[in-house]
Amino acid sequence: MPPGGDTYPNLKIVGFGDVDYSDTKRPEGPQGFSEGQFVLHMASALSPRVTFFAELSFTAEPNAGTGTPPAPSYAAAVERMILRFEKNDQLKVSFGRYHTPINYWNTAFHHGQWLQTTIERPEMIEFGGKFLPVHFVGALVEGAIPASGWNLNYQAGLGNGRGSDIALGGDAGDINGNRAWLVNSFVKPDWAYGLEFGGSYYKDLLTIPTSVSNIGEHIVSAHVAWTREDPEFIAEYAGVRHEAVGAAAPTWSHAYYVQGAYRLPQFNRLWKPYYRFEHIDIAAGDVAFATVPMLDGSTVGVRYDATQLAALKFEYRTWTRGPGTARNYGGFFQVCFTF
Amino acid sequence: MRNTHRLVLVPLALLLGLAVAFLRPMPVAAQTAGIAVVVHPDVAVDNLALTELRRMLLGDREFWPSGVRVTLLLRAPIATERDVAVRSVCEMTEAQFRQHWIAKVFRAETPNSPKIVYSAEMALDQVSRVPGALTFVEASAVGKGVKVLKIDGRLPGQAGYPLK
Repeated sequence: MPPGGDTYPNLKIVGFGDVDYSDTKRPEGPQGFSEGQFVLHMASALSPRVTFFAELSFTAEPNAGTGTPPAPSYAAAVERMILRFEKNDQLKVSFGRYHTPINYWNTAFHHGQWLQTTIERPEMIEFGGKFLPVHFVGALVEGAIPASGWNLNYQAGLGNGRGSDIALGGDAGDINGNRAWLVNSFVKPDWAYGLEFGGSYYKDLLTIPTSVSNIGEHIVSAHVAWTREDPEFIAEYAGVRHEAVGAAAPTWSHAYYVQGAYRLPQFNRLWKPYYRFEHIDIAAGDVAFATVPMLDGSTVGVRYDATQLAALKFEYRTWTRGPGTARNYGGFFQVCFTF
Repeated sequence: MRNTHRLVLVPLALLLGLAVAFLRPMPVAAQTAGIAVVVHPDVAVDNLALTELRRMLLGDREFWPSGVRVTLLLRAPIATERDVAVRSVCEMTEAQFRQHWIAKVFRAETPNSPKIVYSAEMALDQVSRVPGALTFVEASAVGKGVKVLKIDGRLPGQAGYPLK
């Protein structure tokens, strides 16, 4: 390090990758081996108070070689791109493309599968899913205040909201001239090191091809997480209210999950069994969520950290897609790493 | 007769040798004053609560009150200073600490993880040069040109000092 500290820019690149295997009674998603995402993360300080972050992903295309022109083997995407100006711990302003700070998982784990305990994200916040807006293009103000040891964190954002395909953010512009906004707050108290809890509110106006009128969207969410590994505990709830402009009554759809894990003190602390229950309930008549499946599912698995930077995960899952649907189940395996 | 003596005396000599080897007082690690938290002399802070130190070490607090960024300088794994910082302050294993920082940078919460220094001399030299720098060194190794912080109101060597 030079005598005065860092030189600028000081680009650092970290990569993540995973290879997966799945075998289910009835196919939902890839069967057999599949290549997971190849992810590159870049971080660079441009000055002591200005920093840049980017996350690029390369995802194997299931339709590679088909269509006109033929689909490429991999889909490349800029998952996140953030330029942040930092005054101090209490005030930071940034612009770019984020993982929406609307719940815990979406901002804690991102695309590096090695970082999360389980193989998959909870379905309520899965990539490509519609229940919660995974991406957000706009600006964020954030900071942390000591608050007598409560360590209150806040985020407030203004952005484009969802695109016409509500699984996507409005990357190329706002489709309806009505900005989405959000507030998020959580505390990490000193008196319970490892505990975090908080909540979020998100408001948007959706314009989708299947609805003749715009749909107002309000999302409320809450989370509690105990991030130490003995045990690890995460629980989240999100409620989504949709109300078509001029409609008689709104609809409420709900989702939650509860996940517990415990890093065993034996065997050099390399084994971490876990369990997760998740639930998604879509309201009848919710036009915006007409293609979002319901879910009641359990996941039981174990993570084995083969080295400090590579892990193997083994899972059994069983789930149904709403009342009266047949139960599906399957075994899953993942090897994931960072480099 | 001579063989009988040999059968008795040789094992006895071996036993005696082993006893001497194991009963000899083992070298005892020197009692130290503890690990000092050392900062650049311009840092306008004299005391940190252990919880504040933890937040800095985990990257949750990135700036000193003056607005200067905290630059963490840590010894490489296995060094006692790092072990005390990771286990006593963060209450983590080395693997957990490493994963925490990879995740911290990946979450775009900070651009830099702690910088590695390879000796106490290097740590003290860098701390004296880099504004806002903070490191951990054996208290007896601290010289001039740097500042030692109190932790929970106590300096290394005082009763109740937490970083030992």
